[in-house]
Amino acid sequence: MTVAFGLIGTVVIFYASKWLYARYEKIWLSPLLICPLILVIILLTTGTSYAQYNSGADILSTLLGPATVAFAVPMYKNYALLKKNALAIFASLLVGCIVAIVSSLMLALAAGLNNDMINSLVPRSITTPIAMDISTIIGGDPTMTAVFVIVTGLTGSIVGPIVIRTLRFRRAASKGLLLGMGAHGCGTSKAFEFGELEGTFSSLAMIVAALVSIILSETFFPYLAKILLS
Amino acid sequence: MKTVQKVVQIIVQTIFIWGFLLVGTWLSSALHLQIPGSIIGLLLLFLCLKTHLIKLEWVDAGATFLTGELLLFFVPAAVGVIQYDEIFGIIGIKLIVVIILGTIVVMASTGFVAERFAKGDAAK
Repeated sequence: MTVAFGLIGTVVIFYASKWLYARYEKIWLSPLLICPLILVIILLTTGTSYAQYNSGADILSTLLGPATVAFAVPMYKNYALLKKNALAIFASLLVGCIVAIVSSLMLALAAGLNNDMINSLVPRSITTPIAMDISTIIGGDPTMTAVFVIVTGLTGSIVGPIVIRTLRFRRAASKGLLLGMGAHGCGTSKAFEFGELEGTFSSLAMIVAALVSIILSETFFPYLAKILLS
Repeated sequence: MKTVQKVVQIIVQTIFIWGFLLVGTWLSSALHLQIPGSIIGLLLLFLCLKTHLIKLEWVDAGATFLTGELLLFFVPAAVGVIQYDEIFGIIGIKLIVVIILGTIVVMASTGFVAERFAKGDAAK
């Protein structure tokens, strides 16, 4: 029963929230916010554990793997445009990755969080498997990082469109790159709502940001951490 | 009938794409790479398309489905957040504020640099 609910319940509630979101177009009605919220309420009120729920819903998480691979297709289709924007892609993502590290450190220090938490926060805008690896490299807790990654994704898919509107970014490249850089796959999914070009740039941002972050975590981060965290 | 065909096509293509993930995962562990299997799988699929080893039609429907429904695949992980007590209470509020502000700064800076250098798409 719970196994069936985990899968079918998630799918049904997800499409219902998607319909609701399309109908009213309110940012806080984002399916990634409403759908988990409803599920959490159901789990809490019925006394179902997350493990029980996840025994059915797990297959959906598994699909994240092939979904990541599938981003090769829009990249192949828009290869010419990506090549033409190589400089924009590389420059903006290098800046994004550095800002991600520096801002995490500064903000977390200002908030008075402990070093373990700070190190776990740093890789949060990168896609989960790599974020967890980086967390281990720099001395964070990978499971805590996984939680921060999903919270960042949630936040980013809501905040991203507000940033785009407020700062008046017009180009598909900028919209896509900032969404993929700031909110990994969740941002990329949002970017596809803007259009296929935005989505393609976002998928690439997700991948390049992950690779750049691996390099920075072994070079730039230890240097910065030595200055700030000692 | 058309719909059944379409569904079968999506399932078959999704399994085909999944194959690239398996090869990528295998390569990642066999060669002790820091890069996860999904990213290696993506690069392999891209190279296969680029060299015309596989045709776009073989993966297009499956890829459109997988990338289009991405948010759904994040839902179980988002529900999983309830397992962590750390994110509730005062520390939780601090964490959320740090994450929101951090994400805004990262997105704004990335966007500014990209907007300056981007070219070629329909800027209005």
